[in-house]
Amino acid sequence: MLLPDRLDERVRSCIKKRGFFALSDPQMQAIPLILDEKNIVLIAPTGTGKTESAMIPVFNALLSTPSSGGIRALYITPLRSLNRDILSRMEWWCRELSLSIGVRHGDTPASERRRQALAPPELLITTPETLQALFMGKRLRRHLAGIRYVIVDEIHELAGSKRGAQLAVALERLHVYASNFQRIGLSATVGNPDEIGRFLCGARPFTVVRVPVAKDLEIAVKFAGESFKQQVETLSSMLGRKGSTLVFVNTRVTAEALGHELFERGDVEVHHGSLSRDVRIDAEERFKRGEINTLICTSSMELGIDIGRVDHVIQFGSPREVARLIQRVGRAGHQLHTVSRGTILATGFSDLLESLVIARRARANEIENVIPHMNAADVLANQIAGISVEYGEIERERVREIIGRSHVFSDFVSLLEDVCLQMQEHRLIRLDGSRIITTARARKYLAGNLSMIHDERKVPVFDMVSRRTVGTLDESFVVGWVHTGAVFITKGQLWRVIEIADGKLTVEPARKVQGELPSWEGEQIPVPYSIAREVGGVRRNRTIRDYTSEPAGIRYAENFLLDMDKNHSRVPTDQLITLENTDEGVICNICAGHKANEAFGRVISIILSAKFGTTVGIELDAYRILLRLPSHIRAADVRDALDGLDPAHMPGIIRLALKRTALFKWKLVQVAKKFGAIDPDADFERISIQKLLDFFDGTVIQQEAYRELLSEYMDINTAAAIVELVRKGEITVTTGRLSIIGAEGLLTSRDEIPPPTADQAVIAAVRRRLESDEVVLCCMNCRDWKSRTVVSRVPATPQCPKCGARLIAALKPWEEPLCAVAGKKKKSDEERATELRLMKNANIVLSSGKKAVIALAARGVGPENASRIIGTLADGDAFYREILKAERNYIQTHRFWQ
Amino acid sequence: MNLQFISDGPALIVENRTRVLVVADLHFGIESDLADHGWHFSSRSAERVKKVCACIETTNPDLLLLLGDVKHSIPKTTQQEFFEIPGILSAFRDLVPFMVIPGNHDIGIGRFLHDGELLPKAGAIIDGVAYLHGHTIPSPSLLGHLIIAGHHHPMVSLHDEVGCYLRAPAYLAAELDPAKLRCAEKKGMRRKTRVLFMPAFNEVAGFDILRIIRHPFSPLSRSIRTDTAEVFLTEGTYVGPVSALEDDVAA
Repeated sequence: MLLPDRLDERVRSCIKKRGFFALSDPQMQAIPLILDEKNIVLIAPTGTGKTESAMIPVFNALLSTPSSGGIRALYITPLRSLNRDILSRMEWWCRELSLSIGVRHGDTPASERRRQALAPPELLITTPETLQALFMGKRLRRHLAGIRYVIVDEIHELAGSKRGAQLAVALERLHVYASNFQRIGLSATVGNPDEIGRFLCGARPFTVVRVPVAKDLEIAVKFAGESFKQQVETLSSMLGRKGSTLVFVNTRVTAEALGHELFERGDVEVHHGSLSRDVRIDAEERFKRGEINTLICTSSMELGIDIGRVDHVIQFGSPREVARLIQRVGRAGHQLHTVSRGTILATGFSDLLESLVIARRARANEIENVIPHMNAADVLANQIAGISVEYGEIERERVREIIGRSHVFSDFVSLLEDVCLQMQEHRLIRLDGSRIITTARARKYLAGNLSMIHDERKVPVFDMVSRRTVGTLDESFVVGWVHTGAVFITKGQLWRVIEIADGKLTVEPARKVQGELPSWEGEQIPVPYSIAREVGGVRRNRTIRDYTSEPAGIRYAENFLLDMDKNHSRVPTDQLITLENTDEGVICNICAGHKANEAFGRVISIILSAKFGTTVGIELDAYRILLRLPSHIRAADVRDALDGLDPAHMPGIIRLALKRTALFKWKLVQVAKKFGAIDPDADFERISIQKLLDFFDGTVIQQEAYRELLSEYMDINTAAAIVELVRKGEITVTTGRLSIIGAEGLLTSRDEIPPPTADQAVIAAVRRRLESDEVVLCCMNCRDWKSRTVVSRVPATPQCPKCGARLIAALKPWEEPLCAVAGKKKKSDEERATELRLMKNANIVLSSGKKAVIALAARGVGPENASRIIGTLADGDAFYREILKAERNYIQTHRFWQ
Repeated sequence: MNLQFISDGPALIVENRTRVLVVADLHFGIESDLADHGWHFSSRSAERVKKVCACIETTNPDLLLLLGDVKHSIPKTTQQEFFEIPGILSAFRDLVPFMVIPGNHDIGIGRFLHDGELLPKAGAIIDGVAYLHGHTIPSPSLLGHLIIAGHHHPMVSLHDEVGCYLRAPAYLAAELDPAKLRCAEKKGMRRKTRVLFMPAFNEVAGFDILRIIRHPFSPLSRSIRTDTAEVFLTEGTYVGPVSALEDDVAA
């Protein structure tokens, strides 16, 4: 039967009223399948009528079957503030077809919610979080039984996140009430649509309808200049064209900077997540009305927020990922059957190469895969808590059965057990034999934890000297890492933490560069390994002309590489890693993408920090890693560390490396919150958080923090594979001076790797203490020379400048008067005893040099003890341990305390 | 007099004619306070008791001295404390005689103690060494001695060139400055009075030493000479003078 004939008369007339004269390709393919009651995933670019593809057959079905009271269709969208345009379209349809419609999300007023509970709408539009809330009310639960259709919009956004995993479980909880409703997923282009289908349907059958995108996309890459000023000029020159333009940037900071520079044009506005809702809506409206014709935005604009037709899409700086580019450019030329044109403005050498690689891949449809979170313990905890409140008490096996129907949990019986025990520790549930019973805390927990999104409270940073607020920090970060005395950077300035109280961080300006604020920009998009490697290949083969014919870009890139050659700098590629010495440490140029570099960087860091007893700072991007090291550790040392690395050990090493870092603590706090261990409004000011976090050692909370970090933030498997290639000789490593490639670029992720054992740390402290101790040297040969200095300045073999002898006694500052005794002609008995001691001292210095001087500087260590310590022949760390032992013995005696 | 640092405590053995095991700031019952502040853990009292008993068994003292803040809740005694404290104290009593110098959190602790176990809160001298919880002005009789005090929960942060790598409980040793102490009589002031601030036994308690120095919150900590104050780790390692820590962070 022809499609139109299958549709109800009233639906057909609505279609005509909307001004559609023909159905789009996606609609033609998807609608019949939905009418046939199949589960489907519809993959199509924005603006191809995806929403209508789902809603037309659903409306049709709703018309043909009588209502049973209760909700009949659920439309779930991930946007926290709902897409007002989709809403107004649906409201129009429902009005025309006499169907009732309601919206329920975080901001829905209580009166509206109550109305919905009493008289539920047939079509309910909601968010994943609010769906969670529907299970909590007895009345609302009853209304779920009649649901026949569930549409999940922007499902590609959800499938790879914990929020999505939570939704997948929610759908199985819904299945208990409304078995076998039809599932419809609407997705943008991804590399693995089948995975999206499984994510949506679990083991149930589904069909993927794929509308190819490449033939309708035209992507150009243009080199915009090396300096920000030039780049702004290039951008500005492109804005003069007729029509509306969306300029996508990767960070809020960039959006603000561009907005500032282009402000005077008067036709440009900025749109990003940090702006207030009113400001954003105002910008959207003005853009729609044509009052402004350029909107500078971040990923907040990627989702289907409708702002009317967009004629041009410009991506400022590389889009980092193919999927992102396609989604963004897909906004151009909104009408069906027009080509979407987009231009990437490349902002530097690596950025240019990356943009070219991504453009090629987009044209070839080589899009990244979405990877769902499998067996995420905190999602499990959150859902067990929800289910226990929903049922009051429930058998564990039943919980396993419900959750196990989703794709995101499989083979998880022992995980379930561990999670339940942990939840009981935090009094979120009670276990009684095989039953799970809800507790008094559980409802309050759910009210604050409906979402898996971490609502980061921002903690203001207050400078007590200038008495003003200088910035904000994420609360989880403050909780996990910041402490009195911590030093960090914000707004380009150094600050030291004085105290954490009254909901703010009080700081004062600090002077020395010591410790940087570990930071990882949450909104920074990681460049995938495959893209970074391809960039490395372009660098190696110098094949820019294969990727572009734009003269400015070709000229710039080729000259850049020629400059590298002129400076005798080896160009790091996919087969060459270069290690370069800089003032701040060592730069490792590796083309491996953010996640692999993050893993690799941390492994090398902890090896170095263990070996040298020092904290290592780490900053990186997709092509380089800066290791902040004390000046005596150089590229050659890094290479040694790399040479000694066994890929098989790397997973174990990285867990060790992560454990005491800011990143890990931040994630630990987030996961712990989902387990109910930490309330959303927990006090972190007067409590020693660090110690509390230790309580999570060995728990499923810690395990989940590791699991998430190792899948989302760092890729240890790829890093290990690279090390394996180095071992096999397929990738070579060279060292050298800082090159222009090494010096390029903004490093985006920062953290600190402390040494793995406290012992190393203490030895380092003692070493430093002894080096800066004062010492008095006095010659026991001529007895005519003495000098007061510090241990660090004493040469390896001390020598008397007057007589040339090496018989020098090394005394503590308060022993200085004893030197005079040595020079006396007539000595009393006591003075002769002193002379003997000084000689003993000088003899040890004569035979053991500076080592003796160091030992003699220690507390309570005189010639006898120093002699014994040196006699152990201990060296390096062991030598200092002997010194510490001797000091400890002294400290325990009576003499020390009186 | 001999001093032995027990790092897995942290605790001190003070040995003269008697062998005294000193443990400070146990804060039993802290979990309900944590819960009030949004941190939910089940009671760790059992583990803590075991740890104290292990110290007792390894060090074999003649006397266990609890240097205050045995329990946590102010000003009442919570349900958790009522339930747990009798058992905790008898576990100690079974192994060794003990005494308590009450701290600011120990209001009402007397009801759990036997005769002779409660010492005055202004401090006491045992076997030539003075002991004080640390929240009050010391009794004048303590002056001229070594005073071992709790209450301050000292903790040290060590930094290197690149960042902070160690945060651990620590001891702070300092000389008392007679001029700064507001005290009824200063009879014993001819001899130096040194104070040794002990770290808390409780796993979660801790204040950074620099904060104790710069923003002192007790009569005792306000009266010490900070220029010569020294820091030790829990196993007795001498880290350095406080000024070195300040340089580390500030310079």
